[in-house]
Amino acid sequence: MFLIPVYLIFVPVLTALVIYVFKNKHINYLALVSQVIVTVLLVLYHNEFQGSYADTLFVFGNWSERVGISLVNDEISVSFMFLSVFSWWMVLIYTFEKGKPNHNFLFFLLFLQGVFLGLLQTNDLFNMFVFLELMTIIVTILIAFKKTGDAFRAGIYYVLLNTAGVLAFLMGIIFLYNIFGTINILVISENMHLVGDETAVKFSYVLLMSGIAVKSALFPVFSWLPRAHGVAQSAISALLSGLIVKGGLYVFIRMNMMFADANLNYTDFFYVVGALTAVVGVMFALSQKDMKQILAYHTVSQIGIVMMGLSSPHDTEIFYGGLLHIFNHALFKSLLFLGAGAIIKVYGNKKVADVRGVMRTMPFVSAVMIIGMLSITGAPFFNGFISKAIIKYGIMDSGIKYWILFVVNIGTATSFIKMSQIFFGPQTITVRIKKRMQNVSMMMLALGCVLLGNFYIPITEGYFGFELREVSVTTWKNFFDYFLALSLGFLFYRYVIAPDYKPVRYIRGYQMSFEGSNYVFVIFLVVMTLYFVVF
Amino acid sequence: MDPLLTFVVILIGFYGLSTSKNIIKSVFSVTIIESGVILLFLNLGNLEGGSVPIVGEAFTGIVSDPLPQALMITTIVIGSTVTALALMLCIKVFHHYGTVEWREILRRGEGK
Repeated sequence: MFLIPVYLIFVPVLTALVIYVFKNKHINYLALVSQVIVTVLLVLYHNEFQGSYADTLFVFGNWSERVGISLVNDEISVSFMFLSVFSWWMVLIYTFEKGKPNHNFLFFLLFLQGVFLGLLQTNDLFNMFVFLELMTIIVTILIAFKKTGDAFRAGIYYVLLNTAGVLAFLMGIIFLYNIFGTINILVISENMHLVGDETAVKFSYVLLMSGIAVKSALFPVFSWLPRAHGVAQSAISALLSGLIVKGGLYVFIRMNMMFADANLNYTDFFYVVGALTAVVGVMFALSQKDMKQILAYHTVSQIGIVMMGLSSPHDTEIFYGGLLHIFNHALFKSLLFLGAGAIIKVYGNKKVADVRGVMRTMPFVSAVMIIGMLSITGAPFFNGFISKAIIKYGIMDSGIKYWILFVVNIGTATSFIKMSQIFFGPQTITVRIKKRMQNVSMMMLALGCVLLGNFYIPITEGYFGFELREVSVTTWKNFFDYFLALSLGFLFYRYVIAPDYKPVRYIRGYQMSFEGSNYVFVIFLVVMTLYFVVF
Repeated sequence: MDPLLTFVVILIGFYGLSTSKNIIKSVFSVTIIESGVILLFLNLGNLEGGSVPIVGEAFTGIVSDPLPQALMITTIVIGSTVTALALMLCIKVFHHYGTVEWREILRRGEGK
């Protein structure tokens, strides 16, 4: 039972190797077998340790805890693992085709799963670095998988910017090792109160956070995300936007838990960063014309909303609202990307303006896409509504924080009103091949959106171990807010976005150069140093 | 070597990343940052006059901290992988766009 965390990492990785070595027609089914094994192991593990994650520490080779490599789990990591296994199921089902020779793709996909599950469980800072960097490498290959010029360009942009960020993360680890003499996260967090005021501790926090900011595409350094997620294959984009970006946010949660006893007040700073991410992401999304670019920029803005929640201390409702929004976003953004992929495949066109009549051509896909759009805009009884309402509940007292969220909601409503045009109009194309497996995975995701939107209380209690009963979500005020945002969004679309004024065109044409985004990264590092260390 | 010197190396790398307009130079800059980080960690783990941390005849007196050395070997391996991958992508970008200038390749629409 104690070895399950190790199996969870190595079963997908070894399966990936076997698939790659025996490039056989039937070996593809092994991917599904490994997925079943991982799911069963995870359920067993959850049942064994439910409610008592204190003794899940596993140290390799019986070394002392201070030097050995160790794995540990808690409620958050186990629920993240459930989410990731679910996402991989969906992507595997979506891309699975009988007898199709896609061994290389399956190799990287399964390898990435092992690495991601490792990142979630690790209790060792250096291993965290290794997993982050491995993730960067594999994701680069998956981005460039289409072998077009666009994909290679996005891949090299991604790998260099992220490596610079992860190296800053490594520097932070070095400082921590120099102070504590260990890289074990549990040991460091136990001893943090002894040195909480030291400059070196604060500086290491700054370095770790700047690395995480690049990995999770926070405000000044998000320019890689739309580039990468816009050009990758739709299934890959769904995985990247839904889950892999959340790896950075997960590390953010872990690091803030580790620095809980240090004398750092990060709430305001990261709230501002999250708000800026959300607003700027929405602004760019509004100006785009390409379906996948719109969805990619919305990932940026939703990460900002998550950040608004996660920036709060760990026992508040707003933190759990952010955490829940990670899960909700994973469901609806994967759904939207998969649906958009199916539409793009049939129409052969990515532009919102050129695609019409999807409702008649592909009724099923448009139904699930509408569920996804209702979720992302925060419609009542869909999952986006719940987490946004919990975040709203947490910031009800301060006016400006509340209004920022409202503005972001209007922007989201506007750009999905714009995107929903693709459903209307006469049928222009007839679909020849029906793909049942794709529909299955999209239906599961849509079902997840609806389920989490209505039965979130038992789900959060079972997996996060946190009571959300006292947060009143389904109030008339929240319903009213949604319809107000929707109608304001419609007006905004009708009179500002649709005429395509010059500022909108300017934002669409704006591209951050590579050296520019690195420059911004360095400035972000300096600003964080000034905020956390100097003042 | 003074640990401060390694900071200079790291800063040179960041300077290169935020100014160079050529993909190859950007790859080099990342490599330079990485070398700086590795040197920094080895410096902090090294003791003046300390012996090699391998159990055997030389294992007497003060011994250098073995953990940084073990970790940095991993970092070097990962770094070489990233460099190889980046250079491969660089070649592919050159085949598609005919140039390795960032400005040129980012300005163009779809590659050939």
